[in-house]
Amino acid sequence: MSPAEQALVEIERRERAVTPERLGLWAIALGAVAFYLVAGHLAGIDLGKLATGIPKLGRWLAQAWPPRLAELPLFLERTAETVAMAAIGTTVATLLALPMAVLASRNITPVPALYHPARWFLNVLRGIDSFVFALLFVAAVGLGPFAGVLGIALHTWGSAAKFFADSIESANLGPFEAVRTTGAGRLTAIAYALLPDLLPVMASTTLFWWEFNVRASTVLGVVGAGGIGLELKNSMDLLDFPRLFTIIAVILVVVTALDQLSGWLRRRLV
Amino acid sequence: MRGDGTDAPPPGARLVVDGLTKSFNGRLAIEDVGFTISERELVAVLGPSGAGKTTLIRCIAGLLSPDRGWARLDAQDIAAASHRRSRIAVVFQQFNLIGRLTALQNVLAGRLGHAPAWRGWLRRFERADRLLALECLDRVGLVELATERADRLSGGQQQRVAIARALAQRPRLILADEPVASLDPAAAEDVMALLRSIGRADGVAIVCSLHQVHFARAYADRIIGLSQGRVVLAAPVDQFDAAAYATLYGRCGIAPDDAGRAHADGAALRPSFRTRSIPEEIP
Repeated sequence: MSPAEQALVEIERRERAVTPERLGLWAIALGAVAFYLVAGHLAGIDLGKLATGIPKLGRWLAQAWPPRLAELPLFLERTAETVAMAAIGTTVATLLALPMAVLASRNITPVPALYHPARWFLNVLRGIDSFVFALLFVAAVGLGPFAGVLGIALHTWGSAAKFFADSIESANLGPFEAVRTTGAGRLTAIAYALLPDLLPVMASTTLFWWEFNVRASTVLGVVGAGGIGLELKNSMDLLDFPRLFTIIAVILVVVTALDQLSGWLRRRLV
Repeated sequence: MRGDGTDAPPPGARLVVDGLTKSFNGRLAIEDVGFTISERELVAVLGPSGAGKTTLIRCIAGLLSPDRGWARLDAQDIAAASHRRSRIAVVFQQFNLIGRLTALQNVLAGRLGHAPAWRGWLRRFERADRLLALECLDRVGLVELATERADRLSGGQQQRVAIARALAQRPRLILADEPVASLDPAAAEDVMALLRSIGRADGVAIVCSLHQVHFARAYADRIIGLSQGRVVLAAPVDQFDAAAYATLYGRCGIAPDDAGRAHADGAALRPSFRTRSIPEEIP
């Protein structure tokens, strides 16, 4: 037998053997099935309720025509408020994220002792949704869009800084090192060698989060943190379906337009 | 040059290295490395992969701190006097230019050690610095490409921009870590000739690690051989013969007379793969 044939026979023998790894894979598959059975039970999956619920939705949809156009200026104003909240919150978050990202990057942090605390801090921010932050800030600073801005800013700060830190950690540090060896300080080298490569990524992800936050923050009004969400909740409470569906339509149009705009801008950036 | 480091260096000594030792996770990368280099001298550091060439250069450059030993530039300890770093320029195998910046902005990075920090933050340099940077680009023959983005340049051009960045530091010492390993032969010749002329004309001392013995023989004044982290030979370039080659690479392979031209490493190639042909039909 040639060496190649010998190698093939050996590989075939190994492929047929029942090994502990293979038994382990079966156990994992069984475990996954069990997990979904339990999860389905806990989530209260009940297809019967869905069957009775859908006709109800159909009736509401039928009542929703014609749309309530008289209140359109109010809806547009409230939607603009939502877009503005998302824009301010996202921008503040990005600006705050830059220094945090430097601290939370293992490869360039000037204070290695703060690496883990910085990462934990960002995980806490990321782990708490802007909705939850907004709930807290409505209590702290009162009803209105400002509470929403703070909620968006804090949550996005965590996500953005973690994302930037991850891209710094995977960045090619060659140029940074080269600039360091010219005698430049660490911060100068970061600004000179790393920032030019990071800025387009940052600008593009900021646009993405802005777009994401517009969608996410339509619900902030539900807890009184400003924007179109409040009108949405009022209509639902009053079972005023023409109004409700007009608002949903306005949200859809604005969000789609923003998606297109930000997608176009992002393609130009990278 | 062994001992406590207080001996007076020989006159004209630009760089004195003594007892440099560095280990990673308990494995010695370089051990007790010492040598002296005068101004205008181009010293090639040769040795098989893993011999410690890069570690040595990074220790001298201050990118790594050695476990023991020291390196002195103009009789001043490099590790202690960090401002000396602005007079030590490093040329990297992968060029390490900032891709999205122009050639000129990359060369201006060489002035960062001489300018206030805010100029680096805002990328705003004095006119004199910009003129110097353009002169450096002219020196490497790329002044017409000054406003081109660095990542649009060819490998050879990028390495020349990196050398212009080094020149902009007005260096006393240039450390080149396999500067031609990523270049085609013609571009490599250009870069080596450029380094050589910079050493001669500007009186810069140059340490250049290389894989190609023939470049060392053609462009260096002296050869330092590293093997397993230790200096195993240090000789003027005309004394680097077959015996020295064997000491360094552990096999024969250099014919002293044609080594400058022929690919020295190639002569030693013994096939370690099977030479039998693939059968036409699988039986």
